[in-house]
Amino acid sequence: MSWLSRIANVFRSSGVDRALDEEMTFHIESRIADLVAGGMTRDAAEAMARRQFGNRLRLREESRGIKVIPWLEDLVRDVHLGARMLRKNALVTTAAVVSLSLALGACVAAFSLVEALILRPLPVHQPERLIYLTFPSTNPDAPEDDVFSDPAFVRLRDAGRGQVDLFAMGYPNKPRVTFDVASGDREPVRAQFVSGDAFERLGVAPAAGRLLTMQDDQHPGAHPVAVLSHAFWMQRFGGDPGIVGRWLVLHDRKEGKEDRQFQIIGVTEPRFSGVEPGHATDVWMPYAMQDPYAFGNGGYSTIRVMGRMREGARLEQVQSVLQVAFANFRREYAQRSVDPNGPPERVAPFINTTLYVRSAATGPSPLRARFQRPLWIVTAIAALVLLIAGSNIANLFLARTAAREREMSLRLSLGAGRGRLIQQVLTESALVAGGACLIGLVFAAFAASTVVGMLTSADDPVLLDLRVDWPLVAVISGTTLLITALFGLAPALRASSVEPMTTLKAGGGRASARAGAARPFLAIQVAFSLIVLFVGGLMVRSFVKLSSVNPGFATSDVLLVSWEAVQPMEWNQQRAALLQVLDRLRDVPGVAAVSAAEFNVLGRPFRSTFPVPGAARETIEATIAPVTPGFFETMKIPLLAGRTFVRGDLDTERPRVVVVNESFAKQSFGHEAAVGRWLEGPFEPAPRAPHEVVGVVADARYDLRKPPAPTIYNLIPLQRLGTLQVRVAGDARTITYRLREEVRAATPLFRVTSVTSQTAMVNRTLVRERLLALLSGFFALVGLVLTAVGVYGVLSYAVVQRTREIGIRVALGARALGAVRSVLADTAGTTVIGAACGLAGGLYMSRFVEMLLFEVAARDVWSLALPLGTLLLAAFVAAVVPAWRAARVDPVIALRNE
Amino acid sequence: MPLLVLTVLHRRGPLHGYAITSHIQKLSDALRVEEGSLYPSLHRMEEAGWIKARTITTEHNRRARAYEITAAGRRQLGIEEARWRSITDAVNYVLKHA
Repeated sequence: MSWLSRIANVFRSSGVDRALDEEMTFHIESRIADLVAGGMTRDAAEAMARRQFGNRLRLREESRGIKVIPWLEDLVRDVHLGARMLRKNALVTTAAVVSLSLALGACVAAFSLVEALILRPLPVHQPERLIYLTFPSTNPDAPEDDVFSDPAFVRLRDAGRGQVDLFAMGYPNKPRVTFDVASGDREPVRAQFVSGDAFERLGVAPAAGRLLTMQDDQHPGAHPVAVLSHAFWMQRFGGDPGIVGRWLVLHDRKEGKEDRQFQIIGVTEPRFSGVEPGHATDVWMPYAMQDPYAFGNGGYSTIRVMGRMREGARLEQVQSVLQVAFANFRREYAQRSVDPNGPPERVAPFINTTLYVRSAATGPSPLRARFQRPLWIVTAIAALVLLIAGSNIANLFLARTAAREREMSLRLSLGAGRGRLIQQVLTESALVAGGACLIGLVFAAFAASTVVGMLTSADDPVLLDLRVDWPLVAVISGTTLLITALFGLAPALRASSVEPMTTLKAGGGRASARAGAARPFLAIQVAFSLIVLFVGGLMVRSFVKLSSVNPGFATSDVLLVSWEAVQPMEWNQQRAALLQVLDRLRDVPGVAAVSAAEFNVLGRPFRSTFPVPGAARETIEATIAPVTPGFFETMKIPLLAGRTFVRGDLDTERPRVVVVNESFAKQSFGHEAAVGRWLEGPFEPAPRAPHEVVGVVADARYDLRKPPAPTIYNLIPLQRLGTLQVRVAGDARTITYRLREEVRAATPLFRVTSVTSQTAMVNRTLVRERLLALLSGFFALVGLVLTAVGVYGVLSYAVVQRTREIGIRVALGARALGAVRSVLADTAGTTVIGAACGLAGGLYMSRFVEMLLFEVAARDVWSLALPLGTLLLAAFVAAVVPAWRAARVDPVIALRNE
Repeated sequence: MPLLVLTVLHRRGPLHGYAITSHIQKLSDALRVEEGSLYPSLHRMEEAGWIKARTITTEHNRRARAYEITAAGRRQLGIEEARWRSITDAVNYVLKHA
């Protein structure tokens, strides 16, 4: 027999026993038969046979030890017993497993997101030696900027030689590409212009064909070659090796650009799909093939600069070398290009901008920059909820082991070892933890992909590889082990420390000591739950505030139609076609108003600083928003003074006009009338011509998080397309379909690429806040319920334990209220201590969440009082039932039960 | 003990535990030991793969476990015999020449 059979025997141990018994019985009976046959009386024969055989029980145990593995057998027995105990309290067990699996699943989901987006190194050769360059941003929304112009890149690359090999990775754009010229289908792809040596520096190998080399990056415009990513190759071409050598047509997004052809020369290896986690790149093309306008143009920044540090190079050295080159470049650029009469206080900071050398081991990622902090916060919250759920389980087991005190005492007094008792209780908690782990994994897979889904939109898909890999498995099993040990061990030690004498004698003699054991867990629950409530409350309030901001325009019933020109065309042609489309759509039944604008509200409009004659201040920074007539009507932005644009304003012969918003009027002219003033600004197509202010409209926000910016609306220069806004009066869904048809019918020159709603766009800009509010709010609720359950459990148990004491007191004339008070006092004290710790923890956490809040102060009275009040209320509600039970203790029954 | 049991099983073919005991006792009264201790020893040898057990029915129509020597058991028997012989030879030599 082998190990296998020994293990198998564990599971049929009663069978093994029976077989051993049978064998020995056979021996003894055979001996008796022989002795009787030899003339002995039956009784004497039996006695002799047994004596000759020896100690049957000991021999059987010895054989058993040979045939089975004893510790495994104990374990199996414990599992059986544990499962039976858990089944007996099905409801409590379910609650424990569900709460634990929810918390565990949330932890795993959050961690798998953290792992995929923040921790996982790029799948390239020695990622730790990769760097990328950034500098402080002038845009207050993003702390760091990482786009450089061509001359800046060239200067930095040359300066860094010897220490670091810099290469350009263009900012990914989404052009349309035709692979099948016969069908003419245009597909959006994520494309990137990269230095010829980028793949070599990254250490990426081809899966088919070859990758770009420096030979493909010599002369601007002369290397029409492209490399596909493996994922895109599989998904679009099913891994067809014949793709190498075929041609694709690149349609440039900017209107009026010629289509260009590129030959596909190869496919990257499977693991590589770009350097930006969350966003996969489909096609790479040589840097030399990017917009010719970029070369030598210091004002045209489109590339990210990455690099691989040479062996032995240090980050500080690299930084100081590159810093000098960067400052020199900016100084020269400022001398040539920036307005020489410009204020020196703005030129100096421009030249002296610090250049940061950042590690690119995990790849640069705007997605990470936006979601890193929220993800960590959610992870922390999930971890706290896990601890709350774990404490609940500890309490559950404490109560249960207490209830089994007599059983434990009996077993101890019969000679069972402490180790065995501990093992048994631990097995039970491991069962719960293991079950929760399995359910939690399923939940985690679902939750993580849901979150990724929330980050994704149709034109900006987020792809995170949420695979189960070693770090994740380590975290899961580690957490499970920790939970078992942390929350199972205390009850287990308690259980084994019973003293048989006292317990068997007195029934519930150590009641107060037992309640004390549950106390730290209750305090932990209260404290953590308060932290989670505090953070969750902040996030929810912040989100509510943000969603109730009046954007200044109507968000409902507006569809946003993106479109593109089918072919390059003359201005006049395009302008005529645009007007045709607007006229046609206006007459569609169910359409209330139509307009076009270069930037959507909530989009990223163009800002400029320019002088305003006769204004209160000399210069003013304003958003410039080119729109068509009908824009204010479509977006329902109210008119305050003067008039809005009319169709006649488009006539180039007429005087040029603009409309300003209230903030602009106030900041520029104070209380004086704005209408009738004249402005000169970068208003295309006539940047130097004076424009008359004909109207003032109410403020509309282009960024919901900020107060409305001073804004000037001018008429859209018709060489640019922008987006159509359509206000619908009926069912938006049927109209969506009609819109494509109507645009096609109005002109063959344009086609609709996508239709979305203004509401969807608002939601999209709030996705981070919504995600945080949703998750932290949900977990705050879960934590609260768990804590209430904890309070209930501890109190009910205390009441049960002290029934006899209360009974005696009441019998001796004490008031029932006194009994209630004595039960509550203990728990109340614990709750207050927990709450105090929780408040301190919450205040500590507040510094990490503060910057994510919108118009909510982390340290005001409400932020603290609200969660505290909620928690105390929940604790109070949870205490009512046990307290009522304590008050109703009937002394006769309580004492009779003894 | 293994030497005796293996030898008996080797010479006499499959036997149950009681038959093994009876055989050994029949041959030599000097080797009488606590009978039950045969069984852990049998089970240990079974675990080691020297013998294998199967259930048989005796002439009195009772179920019993009969043990049979295996190829590994025969190999082991050779080893045990050689060891036994070397010990007794050594002891005999000392007794003769001391």
